[in-house]
Amino acid sequence: MPPIVLLWRNLWRRPLRSILTVMSLAVAVFLICGLRSIITTIRAAADNCDPRRLAVMSASGLFVELPLHYQARIDKVPGVEITTKFQWFGGYYRSQKNFFAQFAIDPETMFAMYPECKVEPDAIQRMATDRTACIIGSSLAREFGWKVGDTIPLVGALHPHPEDKAWEFKVAGLYHSDRPNFDNRTLFFRWDYFEETLKQGGVPPAVGVYSIRVAPGADVAQVIADVEDVFKDSEQRIDCTTEAEFQRQFQSMFGNMPLFLTWIGAGVLIAILVASVNTMLMAMREQTPDIGILKALGFTDGSMFVLFLLQSTFLALLGGGLGVFGALATAPFISAGLEMFAPGYAVQPGTVVLGAVVALAIGPIAGILPAMRARSLTCIAAFRGE
Amino acid sequence: MLVPLSYNLRSLFVRKSATLLTVLGVGAVVAIVSGTLALQQGFHHMFTTGGRDDVAVFLRPGATNEGDSQFSRDRGLKLIKSVPEIEIGPNGPLAGMEAYLALLLAPKRGGVTNVPLRGVQPVTFEIRAKEVRISEGRNFTPGHDELVVGARLVDRIENCRIGDVLTLNKTPFKVVGILDHDGQFGGEIWGDLDRLLAAMGRYGPNRVIAQLKPGIELGSPDPAKALFSDEPVEPDEGTVAARLLKDTEVPAKVCTESQYLSSQTVMLSGMLVFIGGGLGFIMGLAAIFTAMNTMLASVAARTREIGILLSIGYRPFPIFLSFLFEALVLGLIGGLVGCVLTLPFNGVSAGAMNFQTFTEMAFAFRVGPMVLLVAIGFSIALGLIGGALPAWRAARLRPTAALRRE
Amino acid sequence: MAQPLIRLKDVTKTYTRGGETLTVLNRLALDMEEGGYFALMGPSGSGKTTLLNLIGGLDRADHGLVAVAGEDLTVLEGAALSAWRARTVGFVFQGFNLIPVLTALENVELPLKLTGLSGKARREHALHALELVGLSDRAKHRPGQLSGGQEQRVAIARAVVSDPKLILADEPTGDLDRASAEQVLTLLDKLNTQMKKTILMVTHDPHAAQHARTIVHLDKGQLGRIEHNQPAAARA
Ligand SMILES: Nc1ncnc2c1ncn2[C@@H]1O[C@H](COP(=O)(O)OP(=O)(O)OP(=O)(O)O)[C@@H](O)[C@H]1O
Ligand SMILES: [Mg+2]
Repeated sequence: MPPIVLLWRNLWRRPLRSILTVMSLAVAVFLICGLRSIITTIRAAADNCDPRRLAVMSASGLFVELPLHYQARIDKVPGVEITTKFQWFGGYYRSQKNFFAQFAIDPETMFAMYPECKVEPDAIQRMATDRTACIIGSSLAREFGWKVGDTIPLVGALHPHPEDKAWEFKVAGLYHSDRPNFDNRTLFFRWDYFEETLKQGGVPPAVGVYSIRVAPGADVAQVIADVEDVFKDSEQRIDCTTEAEFQRQFQSMFGNMPLFLTWIGAGVLIAILVASVNTMLMAMREQTPDIGILKALGFTDGSMFVLFLLQSTFLALLGGGLGVFGALATAPFISAGLEMFAPGYAVQPGTVVLGAVVALAIGPIAGILPAMRARSLTCIAAFRGE
Repeated sequence: MLVPLSYNLRSLFVRKSATLLTVLGVGAVVAIVSGTLALQQGFHHMFTTGGRDDVAVFLRPGATNEGDSQFSRDRGLKLIKSVPEIEIGPNGPLAGMEAYLALLLAPKRGGVTNVPLRGVQPVTFEIRAKEVRISEGRNFTPGHDELVVGARLVDRIENCRIGDVLTLNKTPFKVVGILDHDGQFGGEIWGDLDRLLAAMGRYGPNRVIAQLKPGIELGSPDPAKALFSDEPVEPDEGTVAARLLKDTEVPAKVCTESQYLSSQTVMLSGMLVFIGGGLGFIMGLAAIFTAMNTMLASVAARTREIGILLSIGYRPFPIFLSFLFEALVLGLIGGLVGCVLTLPFNGVSAGAMNFQTFTEMAFAFRVGPMVLLVAIGFSIALGLIGGALPAWRAARLRPTAALRRE
Repeated sequence: MAQPLIRLKDVTKTYTRGGETLTVLNRLALDMEEGGYFALMGPSGSGKTTLLNLIGGLDRADHGLVAVAGEDLTVLEGAALSAWRARTVGFVFQGFNLIPVLTALENVELPLKLTGLSGKARREHALHALELVGLSDRAKHRPGQLSGGQEQRVAIARAVVSDPKLILADEPTGDLDRASAEQVLTLLDKLNTQMKKTILMVTHDPHAAQHARTIVHLDKGQLGRIEHNQPAAARA
């Protein structure tokens, strides 16, 4: 065993260098944890879906709508417990930069089907009595300062109001979800209001997505097959999948972006590995005479190897630990900033493990070259400064 | 008196391993930043090339993009007939209706994606004769269930080669040609307007495009401005745009194609610049730390030399400059390495979701002079910032102290 | 008489540099008995340091026998050699003696970390050794805060702390002024006379060599004159 006291003392031999190295390691591990958290947050949406919920949409994609009368036909399929429908409203509040999702829904079936969307009983009551009522996510309410009773005017970019004005929705209440598959930044409003208003302008309403809950005991795969079978020869081909699969498909539309994030992570790793090797080589050059002395005193080659490996591991753990800590500490702020793209941003335990593994791995990898040199260095060469 | 530059260059060479590792570290960071920028540039380039000032885009008032917009056929036709600013060609007005849809297809990377699907009329090819060409196979025949596929899609999406069949809802369409366009159309699938509308069960086109008579000014406000303004952005009184918006028969929001395209890039472009900037800042810190470490070691190893330089009469400031120069060279070489790492990406196609229309855009990384300039500038900045403190330390040494220290 | 502590027979050491072979030690034969005080003298480049390194087990002879304290160093390797060194030899070098990040006390303690002693016992031994060289009050100082002579005395404390039979010193007074050199030499005398350590010291300084009882001259890798001497310390 090498003298352990040297680990700590050598760290402070060049304090600035150690601090810089630890800081850059911290930055890199922080970034890697952050990038991974973005990816896991996006994935979590799919992983947290209720496996008994299904989505039905057009086989041609989200842009093609399904007829209203499909709902009755879905309801008849054995094993279907409830169905509810969603239509993308595609409006904006004052300016397009204030982007958030809005859906026309049937409150009763929607709330029954999504227990993770928690709404106060009063709000449900208000929603039932007022045709123009809407409920909004807690984050959305915070962002725009909306409260119960406020009226939200939305420009119907996709569904223009027949009277050529903004649609108005009255806030009946807030909802909050603590599950990553259901974000807190959406506005839901009543289907009948949507339908009647469109009809005034002579536009027939249609449905974006039907959602199904499979009855307890029924076979999910069988229900999917049966639903697809019902619409085999209908005017619009449909695609029935589990909600998780639907989410995954939606995420795959992000394109190559997750791949780019991975590449960036790899680039960060390389940069930081190189920096750590650099530091360890400098440390080893500086400590060359010490190696000579220690070996002359009777410390073995192996213990010198261990000494350098431990030094770099120590440095990497310090930096990595700081990085992971930073990722955890900043998570609430990043979460607020990313509400729009990756709602529910959180650092998963798996990410903490990843950060720890990166930190644990970088140390020995960066230290192995100097450690090998320290092992093979003879006292004489060390004193000659080779 | 200045310290000879060769003194520092030689030092970089003598300390090979440290120089090499620093250069690699800076290179990796520069590559990350310039890669992100190349993505943004590719995206920007795709949307802005081919954007024409003499082509007008008509949308339904209130619509923010062609996905939102909707006209019925009659209103579309009425619009084309009623606007005197539209150029007249040999076969009537140079104006056509377009449908903008999306088709759920399987990209080769797995999953699914919405590929833009555009239904056009023959007149579109008259208007775009100079920009759009069929590079392989032939164009679709009007009235037939045929498609041409954008060149950038061929290698990225399944079933996009000549002879393949794509099913639109229930109607099979045959791929008969490859459409080549530097701009956005190279990432789209085109077919006959009426056939696509029929197949997809849509009643009308999404937008109207028209070539304008020479010298026509529409006077449209910049639609990109409307993205960020809290107030509705209206065209000025007396302009063509204002007249069309107030039209009693077919009101329409009009702007030039260049304006339209730039408004479509703002969001993703801004996001990529933001991501690139953020990464650049965070990783730049790490790179500065690395460069600083190397330079500190370089100064420490040459404490005696510095002492000798000082004692034979060199002033501190030239010594400061000389070490700063060394750091600058270190950063610059790192920047060049970063550029070399980024260059192979030039032209590689990528796909990203356009958050404004929820369709996937196919575009290519573009490592142009702008990206390279930023990369080099960034690397020099990294070197200078990382080198300032060590150089200052070197210059601040007193000859006696420098010579005494072991 | 019993086995000599150091037995050299036919010892040859060569270096090849750029195709040229340089014979640094040429068929050297020498015995040194336990308890002796030897000075090794000779012109620069004559192979003194090389010989000292061979005896200390830091380097290996190409040919011949190097037996120290009953071990044949030409066959001892790796960890066994390290352990032998820790047990048998204490080193005092000219420069590069102390580890700069450790205090005087910690430097002296280092060799004891290779023994089974408890932390407390180690500290006591180390303090005792520092006392021996007259530097107990400097226990907490770093080498950078000590003078050259004090550094050498700490190195001597470290060389004796593990109670080895043999002390090898390579120009221990080379960098020191007269007074500090005298302090170091007095200490070495004390180790030899009172603690019965065998000392082998390389030196250029004839005055320093006068402290030894046997002065061995080395020239171009070959043994020269061997002087027997009545050192001042013994005379007193
Ligand atoms: N590793 C080596 N490689 C090549 N030659 C060496 C090596 N080590 C020592 N020598 C050569 O061996 C010869 C003897 O060196 P050594 O260090 O033993 O001399 P010395 O008697 O201690 O001299 P000094 O009084 O200057 O310390 C010298 O000529 C030296 O150049
Ligand atoms: Mg010597």
